[in-house]
Amino acid sequence: MNYKNIGFKCGLEVHQQLETHNLFCNCPSLVRDPNNPNIKFNRKLRASAGETGTIDLAAAFETKKGKKIFYEACSTSSCLVECDDEPPHKLNEDAIDTAIMIAMLLNAKIVDQIHVMRKVVVDGSNTTGFQRTMLIATDGYIETSKGKVSIPTICLEEESAQKLNSTDYSITYRLDRLGVPLIEVATGPDIKDPEHAKETASLLGMILRSTNRVKRGIGTIRQDVNLSIKTHPRVEVKGFQELRYMPRVIENEVQRQQKEKSGKPHVRKANPDGTTSFLRPMPGSARMYPETDHPPFEITPNQIKLVKIPELITEKALKLEKKYNLQPSLAKELLENKQFDFLVKRYTKLEPFTIAQILIETPKEIESRLKINASKLKEQDFEFVIKNLNENKIQKSAVINILSKLAENKKVNLADYEVISDTKLEQEVKKIVEANKGASLNAIMGEVMKKLQSKVDGKKAMELIKKFI
Amino acid sequence: MKKEAFSHGDLIEITTFEGIKKGTYMPSSEKFLTLKLESGYNIGISKKKIKSIKLISKYKKPKENLCNVSKKKNLKTITILHTGGTIASEVDYNTGAVTAKFTPEELICMFPELSNIANIESKLIRNMFSEDIRFAHYNILAKEIEKASKNSDGIIITHGTDTIGYTAAALSFILENLNIPVILVGAQRSSDRPSTDAAINLICASQFIAKSNFAEVAVCMHENMSDESCLILPGTRTRKCHSSRRDGFKAINSSPIAQVKTDGTINYINSSFSKTSNLNLKLKLIKENLKIGWIKSHPNMYSKELEVYKSFDGLLIEGTGLGHFPINSTDKETKEHSKMLNTIKALTKKIPVAMSTQAISGRINMNVYSTGRLLQEAGVIGNYSDMQPETAYIKLAWLLSNHKKEVKKLFTENLRGEISKRSLE
Repeated sequence: MNYKNIGFKCGLEVHQQLETHNLFCNCPSLVRDPNNPNIKFNRKLRASAGETGTIDLAAAFETKKGKKIFYEACSTSSCLVECDDEPPHKLNEDAIDTAIMIAMLLNAKIVDQIHVMRKVVVDGSNTTGFQRTMLIATDGYIETSKGKVSIPTICLEEESAQKLNSTDYSITYRLDRLGVPLIEVATGPDIKDPEHAKETASLLGMILRSTNRVKRGIGTIRQDVNLSIKTHPRVEVKGFQELRYMPRVIENEVQRQQKEKSGKPHVRKANPDGTTSFLRPMPGSARMYPETDHPPFEITPNQIKLVKIPELITEKALKLEKKYNLQPSLAKELLENKQFDFLVKRYTKLEPFTIAQILIETPKEIESRLKINASKLKEQDFEFVIKNLNENKIQKSAVINILSKLAENKKVNLADYEVISDTKLEQEVKKIVEANKGASLNAIMGEVMKKLQSKVDGKKAMELIKKFI
Repeated sequence: MKKEAFSHGDLIEITTFEGIKKGTYMPSSEKFLTLKLESGYNIGISKKKIKSIKLISKYKKPKENLCNVSKKKNLKTITILHTGGTIASEVDYNTGAVTAKFTPEELICMFPELSNIANIESKLIRNMFSEDIRFAHYNILAKEIEKASKNSDGIIITHGTDTIGYTAAALSFILENLNIPVILVGAQRSSDRPSTDAAINLICASQFIAKSNFAEVAVCMHENMSDESCLILPGTRTRKCHSSRRDGFKAINSSPIAQVKTDGTINYINSSFSKTSNLNLKLKLIKENLKIGWIKSHPNMYSKELEVYKSFDGLLIEGTGLGHFPINSTDKETKEHSKMLNTIKALTKKIPVAMSTQAISGRINMNVYSTGRLLQEAGVIGNYSDMQPETAYIKLAWLLSNHKKEVKKLFTENLRGEISKRSLE
């Protein structure tokens, strides 16, 4: 499809949770508190008068009655600030620093003086009836394979409460997620096609992760896609579970828009099968007014200078690739590994490539080939095998065997893997060859490996067999 | 910087060294110009960076929508007197300005539930922070209550929460033979936010006035964290016990009068209150020029701290425990304390000096320890009272204004429910 010809207009909004304490209090920024809620209360929220222009009293009465909103919270993750029974504390400076860091990575201009705003949200997802949000930087951009994508705004805001359930009369929220700092990065409508949307989203995700200050895992980053074509007004698609489905969802949505004759702007949900479904009408323009409980604050050039710009994950990976002569995919995965640098420095007899393989590839092989869950392997397990390999106490071929046992919490007896001396190996091989006269090379090899298991290097054994046959 | 004439709310375009920004001009500070961008966000632009500002269009005030209020014959009439701590306010999302609303129409617009509970009258008396309230304001309020009481079945006073208990105590004393309910209502969360507690407090106060025969001064605030019910707290017994929680208001040495639910259900907790009657309200005002001191006992005191009260008309001591003050010289370190005792003796010869306790709850008993007995001998009054200091302070001023000769006797007599004979809490 020629996306230019159909007037394809597409922009992204990426929301990323930060790994720090809450934005306006010192509660830990837990997204899911495992404790049982010990705080329960219910509230009603009122939209301020004058905004609807309602004159009819009965109608005003009905709309204002609204649903009863129930809240539950754990004192381990929520305090009076989340309960809206205390004004906001001092703004989380870590979060500001991270926001500045991200703004700089996105080539944006940081606002001279930041104003905390209240964005009115009366569905109950914020106990206050508004979301605190602030514009941190404007006019940024990123370079993509298909040209520049502009980043008009970067905001820092509070995460909303998690909805548990809803009936016709009531709605229940949990407060653990409320107040977690959230960075919102919005791109301009510069995305050229569905694949480009995925590229841009993944690039933004990589840049956000490069700060090392963002939360990881499902739900910690969310992408919304704004999408329109010549014949259809803007539709917002939310809830992408996986980035790789993004192009397909966009393609399907474009086709849907092409079929729909008189479409109205609205919000849709990305379904797991790649289609989208109607979620709700497009909300009106945001109603915002200043958060009077927190004064505006200046970001000085000095403060900006003090923020260390982190190296991008892609740059780091490239360096690693070159330094240790690694495959690009292995280098990328190694960046996430906290042990690698330390182990390379400590166990110098081993090639960094070998250490990398043990850390990254061996667990995968244990799962795929041996069908054993490798997720239970601890850092010390990896170090145990690498240390013994470094000291030549075990053979490389023993590594997978030992790690798979450790993954299953089984005892490992090093004596079973003891490297046998060359003379002993020669004797053993000679014996086996003699006992299996006439057998094929492979059969003899099988017998050797059966008897000596992981104690020998396969290559060496083969050479000896050939010698004695 | 080149400047054109523009005012708050105008759409302007600002050119800085970094580029062009368009938005609404907002009230700004000395260093930064505040601009509301089209997205709704405010940002501050350093004035140093501004090259020029262009006016795009002038601000047009949006039309105000008023709710029609028709009186219902079967409903009681409540007059709402505003003193501040805006109970109703409107946000202009174009300018971010918060406007306080006071007229009955505006109140009904904001709290439509009220129109089914009572016919609402209202008057703006003051719009001030409650920490700024002085004796003179108690008298202004009392006179307004007297006026309004002639054609109202009850009065609601909107009040900042910081000193709501003091005003409730003052009005309790000033309004003698009160024949209708006077309920003070505040909000711990300002009314410019959707989660304000103002609405529920106002609705419960109105329900209580509409459905009870109570005729005293009381405070109506949230019972707990939920928007379901409020407590009616006795006027001479209410204290703000939490700086921010909705349910921060407690009855000290006493119990709430009633629990009121938003639907109008009333559960009485203590029914020994004055009922509505045909008594003639009499105002016993507080002299506005009175100087009443208040000193809190603390470690390492100096007699100088007390001496300033020589020119005052009365002094309240917020003592420790059962009613104590550092007046014992037991070693060389406590020599100062003899001076303290002498200063107290000198003060009591001229002015009433009354004792209360800084313990959160409980009664004064100056017989248990020698300190208390020495203070009594020195002329300090207030023994056996269980008045909280705030009420004791107001009562001292009121007695000096209206019963100057009987201060000593009346201070420890129960006049408005401020002292209980039995200790139950």
